[in-house]
Amino acid sequence: MSDPTAATGLTPPRARHHRKLSNYLLDKKLQLRYVLLVTILSAVISAALGYMIYDQRRTASESIEHDLQALTQTDASHQEFQQQISLGLESDDQALIYKMAAVGLGLVIILSAYLVIMTHKVAGPLFKVSMYFDQMADGRIGKVTPLRQGDMLQDFYGDFKDMHEALRTRSLADVAAMEHALTALRDASDAGTGAKLDSALDALSQHIAQRKKQLA
Amino acid sequence: MNAKSDRNYKRSWKNLLINKRYQLRFTLFMVGLSSLLMVGLGIWVMKVANETTEVSMTSIRGEPCPKVPVISSGAPTGDDEDAIPRPSMRLDEPADDAPVAAPPAPDPGSNAEPAPAAGSAEPAAGSAAVGSAASGSAAAGSAATAADSGNAAPVAPDRHVMVQIDESSMTLTVTLPKDYAELVSKHWTCELQQAGRFERLERGRMRILWAMILTGLLLVIGLAAYGIKMTHRVAGPLFKVSLYLSKMRGGRYDKVYNLRKGDQLVQFYNHFKTAHGGVVKMQRDDIARLAEVIAAAEAAGAGQHPATAELRGLLARKEKSVE
Repeated sequence: MSDPTAATGLTPPRARHHRKLSNYLLDKKLQLRYVLLVTILSAVISAALGYMIYDQRRTASESIEHDLQALTQTDASHQEFQQQISLGLESDDQALIYKMAAVGLGLVIILSAYLVIMTHKVAGPLFKVSMYFDQMADGRIGKVTPLRQGDMLQDFYGDFKDMHEALRTRSLADVAAMEHALTALRDASDAGTGAKLDSALDALSQHIAQRKKQLA
Repeated sequence: MNAKSDRNYKRSWKNLLINKRYQLRFTLFMVGLSSLLMVGLGIWVMKVANETTEVSMTSIRGEPCPKVPVISSGAPTGDDEDAIPRPSMRLDEPADDAPVAAPPAPDPGSNAEPAPAAGSAEPAAGSAAVGSAASGSAAAGSAATAADSGNAAPVAPDRHVMVQIDESSMTLTVTLPKDYAELVSKHWTCELQQAGRFERLERGRMRILWAMILTGLLLVIGLAAYGIKMTHRVAGPLFKVSLYLSKMRGGRYDKVYNLRKGDQLVQFYNHFKTAHGGVVKMQRDDIARLAEVIAAAEAAGAGQHPATAELRGLLARKEKSVE
């Protein structure tokens, strides 16, 4: 692929366009696939390691509780103290779960938002090129504006832009050649070359007009 | 490229990185994020695991093992130690338990015989030390000489003591508890069990560490491979479209083939195919129109006109572009 910077300056830059939140998911299949993959993967890693942390913490708490129970079982007056410590440890372990769940949820939300923005920078240029492709399908080969700052696939867009400009230039040249031939043949037709040629030249004239409109 | 060869084409690993910038960016983000999570949470896991191991070890240390009973010949009373006299550190102080103290020097005027002194020293000499006995006799002799001469000079007390140690014997009777062997066995079994538990705890801690390192490494390698392959399914169609765009730029509008199975951006590719079809249709329309004008011009006798020749050139180029 060619250098993206080489093909981004055909038209003057427009005023900076701001993306709308609702338009971030341009290509759901492409974007959500990557977003879901990374998010689920991160969630699985976080959940697995989080469980390990909780498990280790709970084992330590149980060990402390067991030791404390062994120490206080001979003295009933320490029973309340032991229960208090056990409740405290259990409460700490519960708090750890909540903290980890909150951090995990935050991570998933932030990560998903970031990934939607990140994939939008790929889906955006593809969406733009798709629109130009639709115009080309209708025979319209207008002007191509550059990508927004921060968009990815600049190389690909550069290739597209080069092609589009080459096609437009060639089409304009073809129209000019046809127009020139039309004028010359009409002059010859005026000299009495025949009605069939006049009819063909009229059709060519309309064809040129249509092409000019498409290339405008 | 024909349809058959296109279908049989297999992706090769070395060609997977088509668009390095795009593919590496997404793959490295995925790998980097996973590594960050693994390292960050892994450190936390190890911290908690270390604490847990320490708590468990403390708990094990808190379980006392049965002690090995002390082997002794009876309960120590300390009487023997008390019975031993403390020797005086002063030379002029007679020992409390000295068997015989040298009498003070007799007054020259009292006419006392020095014999008792010598005689008293004699039994002490005994068989203990011949040397001592000899010196004792010498001392007695000198004392007698002094008494005989009637000299008033004081006689120094004799400090040589004759000590006799009788033969004695001592029998040590070792008393072992009846369950001594069992207690020793229990003690060392407990000690070894505790050592085993310590080792198991330490091994468990190290197992967590190595499991996480191994999992992390596999995850990174697997994700890198999967990421490149996944992004290749996007970069592949883009690369294919780029090739067609390059041809179109050069004025060639070849037939567009379908994407490979499993490729992404199918919808985008369909847009491209439609656009390509639109451009081809434009060329065909031009060809039709030009052919009509050229035919009319030839029929009207303007076939040799330079404008007709120009149109023929244009027609030939356009026909070639859509072959």
